[in-house]
Amino acid sequence: MTSSNLPYAADAESPLKPAELQVLRAQYEKEGDYVGVQTKFNYAWGLIKSNFRADQQEGVRLLSEIFRAHPERRRECLFYLALGNYKLGNYGEARRYNDLLIDKEPGNLQAASLRTLIDDRVSREGMVGIAIVGGLALAAGVVGGLLFRGQRR
Amino acid sequence: MDKHRRDDSPSGLSDIVERDGLLGTGITSRHIEAFGRKVTSTAGHLMGPSGDPSTSTHYQNAMVDIHRELRRPSTQRKVFALAQTTPTDLVRSKLSTSEIQSRAISSLPDELLLNIPDDTSSYSLFEGFQATQNDHEYRKAHRRGRSKGKKLLKDKDGEQADPPSTLTELKKERDLLSRRMELMGVRKNMCSSEIVDIDNKIANFHRMRQIVLDRLAGLEMEEAELEHEVNEIDNKLDDMAEEEAAQAAQAAAAAAAATTAGSETHEEPASEDPAMDASFMSESIYQKLPSPRSLKHRSIRKRSMPVLHEHFAPGSEIKEFQAHTDVVTALDLDYPFGTMITAALDDTVRVWDLNIGRCTGFLEGHNASVRCLQIEDNVVATGSMDATVKLWDLSRARTTHRDNRVNKDEDDDAVSVAYSTSLEDCHVYSLDAHVGEVTALHFKGNTLVSGSADKTLRHWDLVKGRCVQTLDVLWAAAQASSLGNESQWRPSGRLPDASADFVGAVQCFDAALACGTADGMVRLWDLRSGQVHRSLVGHTGPVSCLQFDDVHLVTGSLDRSIRIWDLRMGSIYDAYGYDKPVTSMMFDTKRIVAAAGENVVKVYDKADGHHWDCGAGVGADETGPDPAIVERVRLKDGFLIEGRRDGIVAAWTC
Repeated sequence: MTSSNLPYAADAESPLKPAELQVLRAQYEKEGDYVGVQTKFNYAWGLIKSNFRADQQEGVRLLSEIFRAHPERRRECLFYLALGNYKLGNYGEARRYNDLLIDKEPGNLQAASLRTLIDDRVSREGMVGIAIVGGLALAAGVVGGLLFRGQRR
Repeated sequence: MDKHRRDDSPSGLSDIVERDGLLGTGITSRHIEAFGRKVTSTAGHLMGPSGDPSTSTHYQNAMVDIHRELRRPSTQRKVFALAQTTPTDLVRSKLSTSEIQSRAISSLPDELLLNIPDDTSSYSLFEGFQATQNDHEYRKAHRRGRSKGKKLLKDKDGEQADPPSTLTELKKERDLLSRRMELMGVRKNMCSSEIVDIDNKIANFHRMRQIVLDRLAGLEMEEAELEHEVNEIDNKLDDMAEEEAAQAAQAAAAAAAATTAGSETHEEPASEDPAMDASFMSESIYQKLPSPRSLKHRSIRKRSMPVLHEHFAPGSEIKEFQAHTDVVTALDLDYPFGTMITAALDDTVRVWDLNIGRCTGFLEGHNASVRCLQIEDNVVATGSMDATVKLWDLSRARTTHRDNRVNKDEDDDAVSVAYSTSLEDCHVYSLDAHVGEVTALHFKGNTLVSGSADKTLRHWDLVKGRCVQTLDVLWAAAQASSLGNESQWRPSGRLPDASADFVGAVQCFDAALACGTADGMVRLWDLRSGQVHRSLVGHTGPVSCLQFDDVHLVTGSLDRSIRIWDLRMGSIYDAYGYDKPVTSMMFDTKRIVAAAGENVVKVYDKADGHHWDCGAGVGADETGPDPAIVERVRLKDGFLIEGRRDGIVAAWTC
């Protein structure tokens, strides 16, 4: 597998049209119990691209099924699992899968970019948390300051 | 605390937030920025007028420094080392039930993660996704595109299209097409790998099938053993009843009383078990008072039905015996893995247990070779060249032969000798009225019909053991010709085959009788009137075999063809031919099998009209000695037996 055969994370952010997703779903349901790996993946990937959290969770679940059932697709699945979990905000899981993939394929650009993305998200959300706390402290300080000033006057 | 103070600086905060946004590879989440700006502006508003400018710049510089450090991933990770993930994620994964559920479902254990083989697929899943996606799009676009293309052609016809625009359009189209070519390649790969996938699944299912088949074989073995045990106990019970009856008989009075006792016992226990009266009554009484019930009695062995052979691949060999030393002339079996009777030109008639695959005895009594035979339940009818038909009841031998088997577990010869003596009791009666060799017979219920070289058919009542009527084939033919609707008896188109039997085959059902004769005619008789009510003309050689069910009559002839007639219409329904004369034929619900002078059995699948070969000659072309030509075939529920010219008899699934 060359890394050109993986989508970049940006690809996961563009949801399919409902009709397109419906086509994939119909195909997946039509094949029933003996669904092919490609059909399953198509549907899972369509779900992960979706904006709805429930869809994304279903997509990750399907991917994990593929991972279990098809050892030859595991390496690819790692990336999609990481991406799906990243979209879901499960950064711990995403990092776990992605790091494993990077161990296997150090030169994988998509995985490297996903790693920075995850790091980013984590740090930013951490920052935001700090910012919120800081903002609150600041506001308290200002209010306190104003009150103090008012009292002094 | 220090950090908090740094955050006090409004510009510093905005710096962080903004740069943080830039840090991400292109994905800026707006609300964070907006939030940052808001904080900056409010703080600026509030603090701006009263804030000290010098401290402000100081803080700003410090912030920039720290931030630079933070930009380096290693430091960043150090700072957030505790947080492998974000607080929201942590909260979610601990508190929300649906979240925990979905995670539990989709989480993968570590051992699976460790076992990641190298990718061998010819295309990636993502390529496959793109290919399918484009396919859907293309199909949609194609409908429009086609009409567009037509329009373009029309335009070209009408007016000159703009050359540069066509050039770019063509280039665009070429790119599009080459892209589609690529995707076609991917999709082809997808298809072939899917086929491989399905093949693997099929192979897997085959393995599973084999396992289950083995299990079934084991169960059938066990079942047979159990049945054997049950039979043994039944025999013991019979013996005890016998002893009691014998004591009772001894206590009873002499001659007059004995005869009444004989008829009484015939009434009662015959319905229970014929084996009992077999040993109770003498053989002479039996011959005088043949019991129809004992003939109808179903074998105790038939309690279980073997189904194993139905699951074998069609055409696989089950067993092969060197049954005789000469040409097999007739054979029949009662049910799959049941009893088989074979007769050959070496003047022996053998009884076989197909389950254990051994000869269990001989039917002795005929003075010449047996030409035709039939077994139904335990009753065997044999027609011989000595012009007699003999009837045998195998159930009478069963008890003694079981006893033998229980008592002596010695080598085969000793046992079979013991059997052969015990089988002497089987002879029920001889039907001798024919004056030529008996070449065909068939019985159903209490009616037996035999055809002979004396050019007559005889209709026998098995209850009385007497001939009910004689049907003269030549007379019937003459009558038909005098009525003018049929041609006279003619010894067929070709020269009358010396080896051909005058009556090749008969089958009866209730009052209906079908017979095939050497003139190639198949006549349908009504046994109540003794008249031919229909003649089927078509075969150009002697009819050697026939069989009918409720819809069709199938006949095989030495003219090398097999014809299927519609019984109701009397017209031909289907016909097909072989290279050599058909000597024997039989059909079941699925197939018609025939022996046609080859070393294989010719099989015709009724459902799909498929012809195939089954038998020893299939794979053996150059290697080893050529198997002998198949003379006779019988088929019961997909269980095929065939007898060859060298005396070998083999069983196959079909």
